[in-house]
Amino acid sequence: MDAVTRILFEAFPTAEIRFFYAIGYTAIGIFGYGVYVQLRKYRRGAGLALEGGLWRRFGTMSASVLNHRTIARRDQAAGGAHRLIFYGFALLFLGTSTITLQYDILEPLFGIRFWNGAFYLWFSLVLDIAGVMLVAGLVFMMVRRGWMKLPKLDYARPDRNPGDPDFDRPQYRREDWAFLWILVIIGCTGYILEAARLVWLQDRPDVWDTRWWSPVGAAIAELMRVSGLTPAAGGALRHALWWFHGLIALVLIALIPWTKGKHIFTAAASLMVRDPLAAQRLPRIPDSQQLPGVTSITDFTWKQLLHLDACTKCGRCHDACPARTVGAPLSPRDVILSLRELANSTLQAATLPDVVALDAHGKAPGQVAMETLWSCRTCMACVEICPVAVEHVPIIVQMRRKLVEEGQMEPLLQKTLQTIAKSGNSFGESKRKRSAWTKALPFPVRDARKEPVDLLWFVGDYASFDPRNQKVSQTFATLLQEAGVDFGILHDGESNAGNDIRRVGEEGLYEMLATSNISALQSAQFNSIVTTDPHSFNTIRNEYPDFGGKFTIAHYTTTLEELLAAGRLQVTKPLGYRVTFHDPCHLGRFNKGYEAPRGILKAIGCELIEMGRCRANSFCCGAGGGRIWIPDPVGSEKPAQNRMREAAAIEGLEVYVVSCPKDLTMFEDALKTTGNEGKFVVKELIELVREAVAPPLAAPAPSVVTS
Amino acid sequence: MKILVAVKQVAALEEDFEIRADGRGIDPDFLVRDLNEWDDFSLEEAVKIKEAATDPIEVVVVSVGPDEVDESLRKCLAKGADRAIRVWDDAVEGSDPVAIARILAAVAAHEAPDLLFAGVQSSDQSFAATGIATAGLLGWPHGAVVANLQYSPGAKSAVFRRELEGGLLHEVEIQCPAVLTIQAGINTPRYASLRSIKQAAARPIEVKSIADFRLDATQVGESGSLSRVRRMYVPEKGRAQLIEGSPAEQAARLAAIIREFKGVA
Repeated sequence: MDAVTRILFEAFPTAEIRFFYAIGYTAIGIFGYGVYVQLRKYRRGAGLALEGGLWRRFGTMSASVLNHRTIARRDQAAGGAHRLIFYGFALLFLGTSTITLQYDILEPLFGIRFWNGAFYLWFSLVLDIAGVMLVAGLVFMMVRRGWMKLPKLDYARPDRNPGDPDFDRPQYRREDWAFLWILVIIGCTGYILEAARLVWLQDRPDVWDTRWWSPVGAAIAELMRVSGLTPAAGGALRHALWWFHGLIALVLIALIPWTKGKHIFTAAASLMVRDPLAAQRLPRIPDSQQLPGVTSITDFTWKQLLHLDACTKCGRCHDACPARTVGAPLSPRDVILSLRELANSTLQAATLPDVVALDAHGKAPGQVAMETLWSCRTCMACVEICPVAVEHVPIIVQMRRKLVEEGQMEPLLQKTLQTIAKSGNSFGESKRKRSAWTKALPFPVRDARKEPVDLLWFVGDYASFDPRNQKVSQTFATLLQEAGVDFGILHDGESNAGNDIRRVGEEGLYEMLATSNISALQSAQFNSIVTTDPHSFNTIRNEYPDFGGKFTIAHYTTTLEELLAAGRLQVTKPLGYRVTFHDPCHLGRFNKGYEAPRGILKAIGCELIEMGRCRANSFCCGAGGGRIWIPDPVGSEKPAQNRMREAAAIEGLEVYVVSCPKDLTMFEDALKTTGNEGKFVVKELIELVREAVAPPLAAPAPSVVTS
Repeated sequence: MKILVAVKQVAALEEDFEIRADGRGIDPDFLVRDLNEWDDFSLEEAVKIKEAATDPIEVVVVSVGPDEVDESLRKCLAKGADRAIRVWDDAVEGSDPVAIARILAAVAAHEAPDLLFAGVQSSDQSFAATGIATAGLLGWPHGAVVANLQYSPGAKSAVFRRELEGGLLHEVEIQCPAVLTIQAGINTPRYASLRSIKQAAARPIEVKSIADFRLDATQVGESGSLSRVRRMYVPEKGRAQLIEGSPAEQAARLAAIIREFKGVA
């Protein structure tokens, strides 16, 4: 039994074996050099120190790679096929490596042999199965690419025109197919080679009698014998295929660092350096940095350059992007690929080219146009779905920072920024009018700067100044009052929280707003903060700590759910409406606040019908990232309209429920412009709670305060 | 080669405001201060000439006003001015446009620029006089309400266009040094990011007194002015009246008013 082992170089003349080793070392050499070139490329990026321990990062990365969760999300078929390819390839690679381990290391050095007997038989079975997995996965991927015509695998770019040199990048398609074919050929020739070897050595019992441990090879060998292949011809075929299979595999290894094959390493590395708060907490501009943001490709950090290389063009961000969906000239995928092309063409060379060639802004191949950058809603759909942890939003915001510094933006946005700098709010209203909406209430809203309160309510711009949202604010104040909550606001001490200003890329203004709000908050006495604005919620929760403002903050949905659960608000009239719920980006994706609003809807007796795009896949209303201050092009569909049409498809829908002031504005508008007015209504969750929770006494109807 | 740009920090009204106790102005509590809109354009025009030139050009901004004007001057530095001068003396309070022009003319005589830009007018007082008066005091030629400017740095003259009634354009050649008052819309003023304004805070503003330009208190302020604001006030509102109440109440009230006007009992 011990004689049973893998046939390696049997019947090879020494010269051929030497030749094979020479090629093998060359391939490894080219691979090694390629790895060096890639690492040198990343090192040409800006420095960055990672937070958190390396082992913890390695642990989360390994889990993601092994369970394939990120790859299978929203595309189970592709996830399953990739799982087959991954495990098939990994087993074959490990299996083949153990040959080297014994043959080239352990046996010549220590005389240790383990690669025979039962171990070998089991191994040959496992590897045969691994090969089937690999080939099956690859064939599915071929069918998917060739016949399914998935829009996300179409490389045509929304930010280029047909005829542009980088419009649909056929070289990517060719590379995809070459990669698939090479792997399929390696897999298939492996089996044929195995079969030919069996036919050739059919007279040796140690080989022939154990052939069914390699079931696929053995089956093919039977077919070959039936078709009349002689042992001698089998030997010749084995010899030819051995070289073919070996050479093509070595070529693949040599090419890995230069082709999409590198994702084996870059995707894993990208997952390892992932920042779970990449879009929620944007980076500060280091004091040492002369110009804000990113001008050249070398201004990106090594981590970002690595992320660029991790992209596998899977197109999920392309699919999820609200800007791309409505035809704006932005696909997160193409931003990443453009920058990667730029990095590869400039940073892989031995010496860096002239600084002009490094410019990441513009319309030439490899550059990102300003229209593209301004199309982004920073809704985080791309970051959230990326299976390999590419962080698009910080890349886009860093590039915007440079545009803002140069004033390259819509005049209306520029005006808004100036207005906010002057008045502290985007409405250009006087600071002292910020709390004018409270005057219509039958009770005073306390000033938390003057007297201690339990709950400090950060109201935000829209809820303070927009007439429609003022009504919601008055309702929320009334609910808090009825529930006996001890609450107050900052009145004219509050400014725009700055979340969207920061995402526009006006970091200086953001810092001014954040520090002003932090000092106002620190001058007040309270136990925790509640906010009706998810945007403010995000920046206070995730970004203010970087500026010294550490507060406990909740979105109002959490507060209301608690008040309902504790019985401080009593549902007296279950509503029975058929509703759908829109997850605001900054509450849902950004801060995982999916459950509280749904809990409230249940508590007030609404029948919730989810839209196809809900929770983490919620579709942005189009207002984020400062886009609420930039007019959408006339004639094209707006993201909010796209969303309204999705909601309108729900049969018998009565209420489209939102929980964000900007959503209320955007969707009430979209309801009208899509012709759905009268079919269903858009309401703030607060308003529904008001309806279901009868006031203890007849509460006076709050009115709009405009002056 | 030098361009001097005269700028003013103007005051914008908040929605609710109160007239000052002396009745000649607004209570400063109700004012929001910012750089005059027209001055944004004249500064941009100067910076554009500077950026397009091959030889170095110095853009100097000058303003007459108290400490708080520094904030607006920093914005000018952030937008590309090389130096900023602020002239103030308590005696300047109460100056009319010509008295301000006297100070600006003294600064211009000292700085000796090739061109002096001013905005057509200030958005808060709308005298539209300061720039032109400065030219008069300097004895320099002037062009008012300039909507387009062609000037090659160092040239002895500039050509500018002005918009006239009836869609006519007026093209004028002017000898330098000259004073031009710049119309809004001549260019697109750049954005000064908060970061660049903050960085400009580290740069010095040359604070001067009127004595530095050999002026004395009799030449400025009320004593140096031949005009003076008597009072500022809001004229009495018209007699529009909003009828409130339910539609039926509103209709009844409306009918009553009509009857009253018609004189029917």
